[in-house]
Amino acid sequence: MASSVLRTEKLCKSFSNGGVQQHVIKNLDVEIIEGDFTVIMGASGSGKSTLLYALSGMDKPSMGKIWFGDTQIQDFSNDELAVFRRGNCGFVFQSVYLLENQTVLDNVLTGALIVQKNSPELVKKAKDLLKKVGIAEEMWKKYPNQLSGGEAQRVGIVRAIINDPKILFADEPTGQLNSASGKDVLDIFTEVHKNGQSIVLVTHDLKTALRATRVLYLRDGGIVGDHRMAVYGEEEEKTRRASLTAFLEEMGW
Amino acid sequence: MEHKILRLSLFNLKKNKREVLGIVFMTMITVMMLSIVLINSRKIDTAYDESFARSGSVTRAVQFKMDKYRNAFRTILEEQYGIENVSEGRWIYTNMVDVRSSDGDIVAYNMVFLTEKTERKIEAFRKLDQLPAEEIDRLSHPIWLPVAFQIVKGYDVGDDFVVLKNGKEYPFTIAGFYETGLMNNDGWQYKLVLSEEDYTLFAMLFDSSSMWECIALFFDSPDFAYDRYLEDCNAVASENLSYTSSYYYKEGEKINETSFLKIFMMMITGISVVTLIASLFMIRHKITGDIEDQMQQIGVLEALGYRSAEISLAYLFEYVIAGGSGAILGAGLAILITPAVNSAIGIMMGRIVSESTGMGGALIAAVAILFLVVVFALLKAGQVKNYPPVVALRKGIKTHHFGKNILPLEKMRMNINAGLALKAFFGNLRSSAGIFFCIVTAGTAILFGAMTYDFFKAGWTGFASIMGTDWDVLKVYTLGNVDVDAFREELLSMPEVRKAIKVYSGEHVSVKGSSKNAEVITFGDYADAENIHPYQGRFPKYDNEIMIGMSRSRDEHVGIGDSIVLEYNGLEKNYIVTGIVGTLQNGGTVVFLTNEGYERLNIFAEQTVVQTYPAEGVKIRELEDAINAHFGGTTKAAAEGETQAAGRDERIRAAAEEKIAVLLNQYGVTDVDYAVQIGDEMITGNSRGFVIREYFSYEGIVKTQMLPIAETTKSFCLYALILVAAIVAVLITIITSNDVRRQRHTLGIMKGLGYSSKDLMLQLALKYMPVIICGTMIATMCGIWVNKLFWGFSFAVVTKINVAVIVITDLLLIVFCFAVAYLSAGRIRKISVTELMTE
Repeated sequence: MASSVLRTEKLCKSFSNGGVQQHVIKNLDVEIIEGDFTVIMGASGSGKSTLLYALSGMDKPSMGKIWFGDTQIQDFSNDELAVFRRGNCGFVFQSVYLLENQTVLDNVLTGALIVQKNSPELVKKAKDLLKKVGIAEEMWKKYPNQLSGGEAQRVGIVRAIINDPKILFADEPTGQLNSASGKDVLDIFTEVHKNGQSIVLVTHDLKTALRATRVLYLRDGGIVGDHRMAVYGEEEEKTRRASLTAFLEEMGW
Repeated sequence: MEHKILRLSLFNLKKNKREVLGIVFMTMITVMMLSIVLINSRKIDTAYDESFARSGSVTRAVQFKMDKYRNAFRTILEEQYGIENVSEGRWIYTNMVDVRSSDGDIVAYNMVFLTEKTERKIEAFRKLDQLPAEEIDRLSHPIWLPVAFQIVKGYDVGDDFVVLKNGKEYPFTIAGFYETGLMNNDGWQYKLVLSEEDYTLFAMLFDSSSMWECIALFFDSPDFAYDRYLEDCNAVASENLSYTSSYYYKEGEKINETSFLKIFMMMITGISVVTLIASLFMIRHKITGDIEDQMQQIGVLEALGYRSAEISLAYLFEYVIAGGSGAILGAGLAILITPAVNSAIGIMMGRIVSESTGMGGALIAAVAILFLVVVFALLKAGQVKNYPPVVALRKGIKTHHFGKNILPLEKMRMNINAGLALKAFFGNLRSSAGIFFCIVTAGTAILFGAMTYDFFKAGWTGFASIMGTDWDVLKVYTLGNVDVDAFREELLSMPEVRKAIKVYSGEHVSVKGSSKNAEVITFGDYADAENIHPYQGRFPKYDNEIMIGMSRSRDEHVGIGDSIVLEYNGLEKNYIVTGIVGTLQNGGTVVFLTNEGYERLNIFAEQTVVQTYPAEGVKIRELEDAINAHFGGTTKAAAEGETQAAGRDERIRAAAEEKIAVLLNQYGVTDVDYAVQIGDEMITGNSRGFVIREYFSYEGIVKTQMLPIAETTKSFCLYALILVAAIVAVLITIITSNDVRRQRHTLGIMKGLGYSSKDLMLQLALKYMPVIICGTMIATMCGIWVNKLFWGFSFAVVTKINVAVIVITDLLLIVFCFAVAYLSAGRIRKISVTELMTE
């Protein structure tokens, strides 16, 4: 049986706005299983991104506990969380967030060198990964402003997986891409997952959710639905789509 | 529309409070410093003139040793020079006579003693603080001192004022202080008024190499040429009077009293230039940052129809408000501390300084600095026009990178934080130029301050070390009949004596073609000299070689290899300059010869002085006591009746010895035998018991003249160092804060990648290190150069460079800058990754 890689217990996250407390996540219990491609869905404002950032140690919860493997991280300071994230989490953002003043290769290595020592093997790994996601050698010395949205996001994915994180977190990774580029990016996620990478991805896009092995539905700060699917490509697309659509309709999506 | 622009200004002011406060602080310091300079530079001039005018003093006085004076000298003044109202008086001239200071220490002053009658021929004798008249009448030895003794030396009315001469004490009681025109400073002379009785006693007692009675002529003349007058007097007297006459005049004493203050004003100006440069750089940095930060807002305003000039106004208003506040505060502060500065000037000059607000100077400084700030801000804010709406809305072209990848991480083997810091540094070299310039300027001030502080940290001994003469010695003047070599050998056998060498001392010669006579310093072998260090060339070795002071070399354009002709009693000899030395002795006019070199010029010279160096831990006064105990005191002490005998025979011997001492000391007698018959009894004796004529040491005068300068300069340097360090701290804080603000987005991404706040703070601080290290290195060179320039220009001397102090200061400066940058980057902690990701 696959083991749990991440677990929460009565997780809460509140924001104070003009003196009024807004409870976005309420007593949430969830378990992320190693090797799963977990997609979190929900209506706008349901707290998807908030949950993602809390799970990934980007943000601290207001209450509750988070186990990352055997480590409880909810009481970590910001710097402790940063150090923790280095070796355990990879991130792909909707706006990509490449470092504007660094080349493609340097963007990838900036993520890697905070964890690993510089070595020819590391550089080779970065270059191999870039090639694998379709970023050709002639683009490695280019700056982010010289890349298309899809290319930039592919570089973002390489930067996120270069350290072999325990979980790859992604927040609407195709949100700003056209459909062709979006598909390319999703194909990369699928391939990365098939190589054994645990993924937690937030989206409200059906096409993206179809790549998942597990879909969690979030409403009013809690998980109200948990839908499991086979690994993408192992079942017919039509069947997969129908099952997911039915689940989402049931959830009121 | 204006309302909208003003709102943008106020928004910027409110948003970047720390930067704005920094600019207010810098402008305030600049205006305050400049105001102090503007207010007080003039004050220094006027304070001296006002004090001089109040004293009612004549502007000139010429003195001649009593036995050299001729009535014709006065006639020359009146008839040849057409000077009216010349008056004449007597005074006792003293050169470095010891006095017990107000705190009991022994110091030495150059003084003249005179009576009230003579004093009133010179000036109005304007009395200030004084004892009640009836108390003064009861005093057995009243004395009136120039007010400098009250302001600077800490004496009060009714205090004892004790003159020490050859081990004997002459106590006076201070009846009061008076405001004097001439003779009110350590560097030249003090003028002390005695009762008629005390004056007569002093005149009878003292006639030595350091104290003699003179006739002085007092007069006013707008363009009196002393050198020419002395030549006329020499012609009448058929001898060179330059060694036995002196000239005192208002302009010279004014320079003496105010020169150090003017140097301080120069230093303050230097610091205000540092702050001004730092302020302007900060404004430049901030405007550039603000424009980049608000690029999209600028684009929107331009799209709405605002002209770029109108948008520039927003930035201008910001600096009018910030700079204006700083200027007003600075001017206000300057006005507020003006009384304290006036008082400090009074203390440094030893004069009463009338208080003034200095409103005009402060206003000029405030307006000038505000004008500069506004013009600079206007020029910088003008760059808004480089961003048309389309460019501005796309956040300008600057956010796009196309250039060469400097230091690619692929090849970098160093720590990632250091590597990224270096990348950031090389990727933004242009903005480093400003920091570099500021560090060089501030670093130069810090290095110069540290070197000067180090020089003075041990007090007056630092200054004494550049005197260019062996000052920590006791000169023993022997009697003419003494075998000086044997005496020297005996001195060397004493445990209190480390070294004893025969020298000539206190001899003066003329330098042909120069208006400045020269005191001669001689050594048999200059390897014995301990505090004379040639700046160029070498010591004289042969009898036709000479070494001269830097100021003479500079003023008279004489260098190594040139010839100098010295003249003594009509005999002229040629000498070749072999070395140039920094020396404070007699204003740097001294010349250095070998003993034989001097004997070439003065063929009758007799070597009677033994320069005695105390053993380790022995003080000069202890050495004097030990020599007295060993050799039996000086003829001066005996002649002044110091001996206190108990029995009849001893009293007779003491009286006889006193007579002998007077004969030996004052009449050049070499041998005396005596026999006194009392009834059948005969008491006999001779002069062979006397060996030493008198002592002389520099210690007291060096301490008197140099201690106040050393203490003041040391304190000034310390405060200046703290201030410049504060300026550097403010500057780096602002730059770092601005950097954090501008790079908020990038720093957020880096945090997302797992870089901790500490990593990012380290990167940011390290980013400035190359420019800070380079700036410090250049500042070190500039600091050494400024130090050399300062000492050379101000005192015509060269000070030793303490490499350890420079290295430590450099390291401290670099570490300080790093620490300030690191701590200022602490704002990074507040950057929230999620806030950035969800914005």
